[in-house]
Amino acid sequence: MPIIEVKNLAKKYPLPDNKSESFYAVDGISLSIEAGEIFGILGPNGAGKTTTLEMLEGLNDIDGGTAFIDGIDVAAEPYKVKEIIGVQLQANEYFDNVTLNELLTLFAALYEREVDTKDLLSKVNLSDKAQAKPDHLSGGQKQRFSIACALVNSPKVLFLDEPTTGLDPQAKHNLWDLVRELNNAGMTIVLTTHNMEEAESLCERIAIMDHGKLIAEDTPQNLILKHAPEPPKAPLHGNIEDVFLALTGHGLRD
Amino acid sequence: MPTKLQLHLSKVFLKIFLRDRQSIFFSLFFPIIFMTVFGFANNGEVDPIELGIVNNSASEVSTDFAQMLIDNPLFDVTLGEEPQLRTELVEGDQTMVLILPENFDAQSDGAELQLLVDAAQVQQLGLIMPLLEQTLISIEREFRNIEPMFSLAVEDVQARSQRYLDFLLPGLMAFTLMQLSIAGSGFNIVEYRRKGILKRLFVTPIKPRDFITAIVLARMVIILIQLSVLILFAVFALDVSIVGNFASFYFIIMLGTFIFLCLGFCLGSVAKTQQAVMAVGNIVIFPQIFLSGVFYPIESMPELIQPIAKILPLSFVSTAMREIANNGSSLLAITPSLIGIAVWFFIAFILATRLFVWKEVAN
Repeated sequence: MPIIEVKNLAKKYPLPDNKSESFYAVDGISLSIEAGEIFGILGPNGAGKTTTLEMLEGLNDIDGGTAFIDGIDVAAEPYKVKEIIGVQLQANEYFDNVTLNELLTLFAALYEREVDTKDLLSKVNLSDKAQAKPDHLSGGQKQRFSIACALVNSPKVLFLDEPTTGLDPQAKHNLWDLVRELNNAGMTIVLTTHNMEEAESLCERIAIMDHGKLIAEDTPQNLILKHAPEPPKAPLHGNIEDVFLALTGHGLRD
Repeated sequence: MPTKLQLHLSKVFLKIFLRDRQSIFFSLFFPIIFMTVFGFANNGEVDPIELGIVNNSASEVSTDFAQMLIDNPLFDVTLGEEPQLRTELVEGDQTMVLILPENFDAQSDGAELQLLVDAAQVQQLGLIMPLLEQTLISIEREFRNIEPMFSLAVEDVQARSQRYLDFLLPGLMAFTLMQLSIAGSGFNIVEYRRKGILKRLFVTPIKPRDFITAIVLARMVIILIQLSVLILFAVFALDVSIVGNFASFYFIIMLGTFIFLCLGFCLGSVAKTQQAVMAVGNIVIFPQIFLSGVFYPIESMPELIQPIAKILPLSFVSTAMREIANNGSSLLAITPSLIGIAVWFFIAFILATRLFVWKEVAN
C-alpha cells in the first residue's frame, strides 16, 4: 500500500536574472512510495530533489498537483503531516552550548512528547555523547544525531536529504546500517543522494530527476537492465588499414 | 494564559538561554558603568563655590567678614594676594575672586567690593550672584544688628531628597529592558535563521504562537534576573531609593519586557540578515532613547514632539516605572500609563504572531 502519493507536483520560482518570469523547479512529478520501502531520489544539483522533499515536508508551498502522506493532504493539513514525519535537513546546526540530551528533550517538547533520550542515542550509536555539544561531533556523528532528532516523534516516514554527503567511507557505511535498521523496524525512508553506490545498495526503488522532471523510476536492477548501455558484442579489433583492405581487396595493383 | 505546552517549552528554552552566561553577564556591563558614572558625577550635593578673597583692609570688620565667608559651607575660600588669585581665576582654579577695599571697615559707607569673574562661566554666575549677594546682606545685617524683616523658608513639597540618579534609574531600567528584549528576541531570531535552526523547527508541528510565547517567557525570566542585578547594584552600591511598591515595579517591568520581546520578534521576522536587523533595530531604539523621557522628562521637549513622544511604548513603560520608583504611585494612580502599556501589549503580540510566518522566516 502506498504511504506517499504524489500527483503532478509542481513548484514555480521566479527566474534569478529576470524576476518577472518564472520557471518550474519541480515540473509535474508523480510518485507512489510504498509503506516500508527505502526510496531514493537521484539527480544532478538543481534537479529539484530538495524542493520536492521540502514540499512533502510542508516547508515549501505546493504550486500545483497534490501530495498525500498516509492519506493526509500535505497542502491542506501541513501540521498533521508534520506529526507523522521525521526530517533530517542538509544544514544541521543547533543552538550553542546545548547538550545532545537537552536538544532531544527540546525536539520532543515541540511534538508535545516525552522521550527516552538514552534509548534514542543508543539507537544512533551515540550513547557516550549524551552530555556532548553538537559542535564537538564529527561529521558522521552529526548526521546520526540529526537522525536521532528526526526520530523523537516515532515517525512513519523519515526524510533524509543527502545524508552521506561529505562522510568518509566508514561513516557512510555506518549510516547505511542505521538506515537499514530503521527500515527493518518498519519505517518508510525517503532519501536524496548523489552517491550511486548508496542508491544501488541501499534503496529498494529509485527515481531519477533532472530539470524538475522525473525521467526514470524503478528498482536499481531494472533501471540497469533498461537503461545501462549494452555492452559491445565483440571487442573492436583491427584498424583503418584492415577496413581499407577489406573494401578494396588484397590483390596487388600495378 | 500560557498553555502547558508553552510553559514546558519555555522551561526548555530557559535552560538553553541560561547556558549563555557570558552574554547574560556582559550585557549588564554597559548599564552598570552608566549608573556608576552618573552616581558619582551627580551625587546630589552642590559643590562649594571656589572663592578667592583678597583682603586689602587691615580692619577688624574685614577680617571678621572674611571669616564669615570661610565659615559658610557654600564657599571654599582661599585667602591670598591679588596677582596670585587672578592667575588662579584665569586657570579655572577659582570661580571668582572677591577684593575687599582698604576702606572696608565699621565706618565705611558704601565701600565698593570688587568681584573678579571668569566670563566663560557666565552661566554659573547667574546662579551664584544672588547667593553671594544674599550672603553679603545677611552678613551686613549681623554687623549692624538689624533684624531681617522677613525670611524665606524653602520646603521641598516632595518631602524627600531626590538626586538625578534617582530620577535616572527607572528610565535607565526601562531603556535597558528595551535593549535586552529587542536583542534577546530579534537578534536571536536572525541568528537562528542563519544557522538553519528555524527551518529545522519548522518541520516540527510547533505553531508560531507557541514558539513565540515560549521564547518570550524564557527570555523574560533571564531579563528579570538581569534587571534585578541592576536594581540590587543601584540600591546597595549607589544608594538609589525606590520609593514605591516593588511588586508593582516588577509588574511594569514584566509587561514592558513582553512588549519589547514581541517587537523584537517583529524585527527578526522583517529583517533577514544580522546587518538589517541592527539597522532596523536602531530605527526603533534610537528615537525612543531621546523621546521617551529616559534621560530627561518628556515635558521638557518641544511642544510639537510631545504628543508623539508620549505614545511611544518606552514612554509608557518608563513613565510608569518612574512614577512608582520616584513617587511611590500605586498601579491605580498610573492608570493612563497602564492603558498605554496594555494597548502596546496587544499590538506587539498580534504583530509578532502575524509577522512570524514559518514559511517566510525559516527560508
